[in-house]
Amino acid sequence: MTVRSDRDHGQRYRPRMSCLKKVEATVVQMQDPSTGVKGANQKLNVTTIPHAITGQDIVAWITKNMNMDNDEAQAFGTMLVAFGYIYPLQDHKKLVLRPDGSLYRFQTPYFWPVQKWKAEDTDYAIYLAKRNIRKKGVLDAYEQEEYNKLHKWMNHKWDFIVMQAKEQYHAGKARQKADRVVFDCKERAYWIVHRPPPQTHSAMDYGLDRHIDPNAEEKKTYDYYRRINIYTQQAIMRSRVKSSVSLGALVKYMTTFKNHDPFLVPCLPSNPWQTDDDSYWELNKPDVEIPTKMRVERWSFSFYELLNDPRGRADFKIFLKKEFSGENLAFWEAAEELKWGTAASMSEKVEHIFKTFLAPGAPRWINIDGRTMGLTVKGLEHPHRYVLDAAQTHIFMLMKKDTFYRYLKSPVYKEIQKKAISPAPHDFSEAQLQQNMRNRRPSINPIITWQKEQEEKAKAAAAAGPVDIKKLMASKLDRK
Amino acid sequence: MSRWRQSVVEIQTRKRQVNECERAQAALSKVTACFQQMATSLGSNMDGSFLREELEETRTVAHKICSGLHRRLLSLLIEMEQGQEDKEQVERLWVIFLSSLENFQQDLKKVKVLQEIFPLTQRKDRQALVNTGYVGGTSEVAARAAMVQTPWLSVEETASPDLKNHIVEIDVLLEEMFQRVNVPLWSVEPTQPSWLEGVSTQDGDLTHGSIRVASSGTQLSNKPK
Repeated sequence: MTVRSDRDHGQRYRPRMSCLKKVEATVVQMQDPSTGVKGANQKLNVTTIPHAITGQDIVAWITKNMNMDNDEAQAFGTMLVAFGYIYPLQDHKKLVLRPDGSLYRFQTPYFWPVQKWKAEDTDYAIYLAKRNIRKKGVLDAYEQEEYNKLHKWMNHKWDFIVMQAKEQYHAGKARQKADRVVFDCKERAYWIVHRPPPQTHSAMDYGLDRHIDPNAEEKKTYDYYRRINIYTQQAIMRSRVKSSVSLGALVKYMTTFKNHDPFLVPCLPSNPWQTDDDSYWELNKPDVEIPTKMRVERWSFSFYELLNDPRGRADFKIFLKKEFSGENLAFWEAAEELKWGTAASMSEKVEHIFKTFLAPGAPRWINIDGRTMGLTVKGLEHPHRYVLDAAQTHIFMLMKKDTFYRYLKSPVYKEIQKKAISPAPHDFSEAQLQQNMRNRRPSINPIITWQKEQEEKAKAAAAAGPVDIKKLMASKLDRK
Repeated sequence: MSRWRQSVVEIQTRKRQVNECERAQAALSKVTACFQQMATSLGSNMDGSFLREELEETRTVAHKICSGLHRRLLSLLIEMEQGQEDKEQVERLWVIFLSSLENFQQDLKKVKVLQEIFPLTQRKDRQALVNTGYVGGTSEVAARAAMVQTPWLSVEETASPDLKNHIVEIDVLLEEMFQRVNVPLWSVEPTQPSWLEGVSTQDGDLTHGSIRVASSGTQLSNKPK
């Protein structure tokens, strides 16, 4: 029994799937006996069932009537099968269109997918119970799981489900044998689309339910117009940028990054989502020893890219250590930690930062202009998350304008460029891809990764404590 | 103590009424199942004015059973006194009836939409009917539905509404049912076991399915191999 209440503010409207109406029109054209796809007969034991169509005929018809090339026609056909308008007669679980002699049939309109109604759990329970009644033990493992779950959730209407399943079973038996088989196939195809087996993709996946019915017209009340007014006023008040400027920025971004976009250029060695081989992720880990050439090239695009990549930041740190100017980066990192850290640790962090970086004569004193320094120190009396923002921006600009370019010309960077590897692209055969899919393993536990990170941080903090310049100079003098 | 006040006649009448309702519910199940089976042929190459007429007739039968059953169940529930023996049974019937109505209303909505998509008013509309591979008609199914008799002897004259109004009427009915009787839905225990025995039985440890089963089994982990 569905709970109904006027105060039910849950989201229950499905988003618009306007493609369904268009697909239905195409399907009706396709099944036309004179102008549609050529029909064939399906031989089943001794009976012959009409109205079967072969995959290659479907693709041929789509190519001709919709003016597409073969690949696109095949993709379109697969969409028809995935939505459930056509179902395969052999291998019913795999919803793809094979452009060969394998047979398909049109789904009856009762079982077509509809946008505003979703396939109900009650009906699914009745269907599973019906199949179980017909032949015990015929349900797959995932179906048995679902059955048990439904039994638990819909315990109160279980009698109804069983009764209805039995009656539907008997009603189905009243038909001719051939029609019974056809109907069973159709029902099964419907439920494969709407309750897909695990680890398959469902075409009916539409994301979240909506709060408002997308098919209903919004009433034009006073509130509605008030909202429209506020929205338009705010839109007018926004600051404007010349389109040539913004477009120029976009073009510049695209020309710089176009070889790094995995949609445009296949990522090396292979896209893990496509080939189930995760070497790409292994080679690009944050703490990897030798980065890939693409990654190193990315660091040279902008200082922001360099800092954001953990491996790049580590490399930059090595360079700064050689130059004895690590305090800027250290201050920047400390400010980031303050911004993103917990509120409880804020006051002690602020103390530490002041003592290490800002106090006059501090061991790692940063060189910012007097005005910013004054503002920051005053703000430190009542510290909050963004109190170091001005100083941090100043330091960032300093590093970007000066240190970054020196880094790019430095031997550290040149060396890492030479050492960087460029992995060869994978070339998997179909059998190897299947093998990869079967060998999928979960990656390292994120808790372990986090623990490792914490350990590294602790080590780094201990090693790179405030560099006592006096001691360092003393050791150097000693050597003399 | 109130049950001693009821005379034997009253108890017997009530029992008879409850049995009537059970039989009516079974009949309703039968009719709605046949209705669904026929509805799956809508829009296919077996669609025709004949099928639509059969659908209409089945719907009228279902409507008659529904309205009668609704009235009787309502009166049974309202008359129910504290600690009534068949309280559980009547409440279970109530929940089954509610679910049945909802399910039937869904089918009605689908039928309405399909009849709009595939109108059969003109000859060329027949070309739009999808060739689905059906060969025979659903007349046997319709005959099965027509054989269902309403279990009460008195003939009530209620006008049968058309499809659109029927859907609206069920909405109103459901609304009314929720408001007038307060049955906690989740307190109803089913009588059927979770994994039913198949029709072709080899091993018979599960009790064979019939409407009234003695065991109130909710065997969740009973998975058939």
